[in-house]
Amino acid sequence: MTETPGKEDKLIEKISSKFKIEGKVQRERRIWVATDKESLIALCNFAKGLGFEHLSAISVTDWPEEGTFELTYHLWSYLEKILLTIKTKIDRANPVIDSVVPIWNESAQIHERELHELFGVEFKGNEDLAPLFLEDWGGPPPFRKDFNWRDYVREREYDKANEREKAYWE
Amino acid sequence: MSEKRLIGNEQITPITEEGTEYDFYFGPAHSGSGNFGVKLKVDGEKIISARADPGYLHRGFEKLMEYRIPMQNAVISDRLCVLEPLNWNLVHAEAVDELTGVEIPERARYIRVLMAELSRLQSHLIWYGVMSLALGFDTGFKIAFGYRDYVLDIFEFITGGRVYPAGYICPGGVRRDLPVGYQEKIMNLLRQTEEMMQKIKDFDNVVFARRAKGVGILKLEDALRLGATGPVLRACGMKTDVRKDDPYEIYDELDFDIPTEKEGDAYARCLIRDREMEESIKIIKQVLERMPAGKVRQPEKITPPKRVKIPEGEVYVRNEIARGEAGIYMRSVGEREPYRVKVRGPDFLHMIPVLEHLLKGYQIADVPAIYWSLNICPADMDR
Repeated sequence: MTETPGKEDKLIEKISSKFKIEGKVQRERRIWVATDKESLIALCNFAKGLGFEHLSAISVTDWPEEGTFELTYHLWSYLEKILLTIKTKIDRANPVIDSVVPIWNESAQIHERELHELFGVEFKGNEDLAPLFLEDWGGPPPFRKDFNWRDYVREREYDKANEREKAYWE
Repeated sequence: MSEKRLIGNEQITPITEEGTEYDFYFGPAHSGSGNFGVKLKVDGEKIISARADPGYLHRGFEKLMEYRIPMQNAVISDRLCVLEPLNWNLVHAEAVDELTGVEIPERARYIRVLMAELSRLQSHLIWYGVMSLALGFDTGFKIAFGYRDYVLDIFEFITGGRVYPAGYICPGGVRRDLPVGYQEKIMNLLRQTEEMMQKIKDFDNVVFARRAKGVGILKLEDALRLGATGPVLRACGMKTDVRKDDPYEIYDELDFDIPTEKEGDAYARCLIRDREMEESIKIIKQVLERMPAGKVRQPEKITPPKRVKIPEGEVYVRNEIARGEAGIYMRSVGEREPYRVKVRGPDFLHMIPVLEHLLKGYQIADVPAIYWSLNICPADMDR
């Protein structure tokens, strides 16, 4: 397929004329932009207006040393045939961010519900953040970097009175 | 944890004498996929609302991958979907390759596409089988699974594993070269599959049309809003395919069509898969014809894993697998293991928002037809 050259650069220019972002073209059809938490919703609205209709995924990366959660929104445009990733960082101690449900509706809703369960990120405006995969889970959000599942299971399940379990746990 | 726990602890609404509304559980153990439940609120036979109940296959792959090196993760990636492990192998391998920047040998890229398409063919045969079963057409199920076994024979011949290839498509290429005589065997398989597809055509309209036509209609604007991809989206009239729009491996050099339908009902989704199998056969024939000679992995010898580190960076890779769009986001900080892996399965969207939306307003008897017309796999939803 032949693509018009430089359409990725043009798109970054278009976005940076309106928003304060750090953007780069990774390769053909891949753009990464970083923005702050406050302008995320406005930027997402703008991106949707540009044709980024499909929210492919939302992901969270945990950076405990830095004290942040990094959220990445992967958007695909059926029109432009470009994948735009919007990155933003939020405080790890107070992980609250505005929901993108008003923009991408149900498809955003389910991604946010999953991330709320696995990382404990609060999405303001998402009305249904009920547990998804983990039934009767009482522990901390398990996908955080500081959650050690081996210690967690050992603490809860190791029956020290039972000699036979020693071989496994010790 | 949130208070809104609807699944699990909630009590079943009692059937009152005058009331006709009650809760109805579809799953979590049922014919077809199993390991996944839908909680339906029904009024008589009519479904008022549906709520998906996932989690029975949640194994935490994203976290497991943070503790393992790419070669081990390649094996784990098999298990992302029981029905098409090779396609998931490919998504994972591509993510690592893009981070390391390794130039994949030409022959390896052809083998990758060959295996991905065989896997698609095999997955669509399973789909035909379980769809028939769901509609009460047992013969179709038995025949489809019988023909699927011929594909599994080829998988065993090439990768060593019938269902799980143990990371055959690995970072850097593929694990080993194609064995002698593969061309003949695969051509023979294609003939058998074509024979099967002729049978599908002969069966048509007997059960499928009556049970699936006009059932589970998905409008295009709803499909986009709910995040549908792949055959489900194409059945609503959207001409899109990651293989064409965002080409990977050698797909931009191959000649194939993207089938689309307009109706958006369960029957349209059936027709799409039928025609996709034809396209897959077309692709496999082209690949076999053009298969170049050469190496199948870069580097050829496996270096001791202690020394191999993934360069710092982040990538998002998308592939078209049999069920829709598969994606992997991989972040590396220059260690042996990836720092974060996010797996985006097509069924995460198809089984929760799309299914919940589609079931509303239909009869209980339509649930299997709608459920299987989406061709869903709980493994890649729960991960």
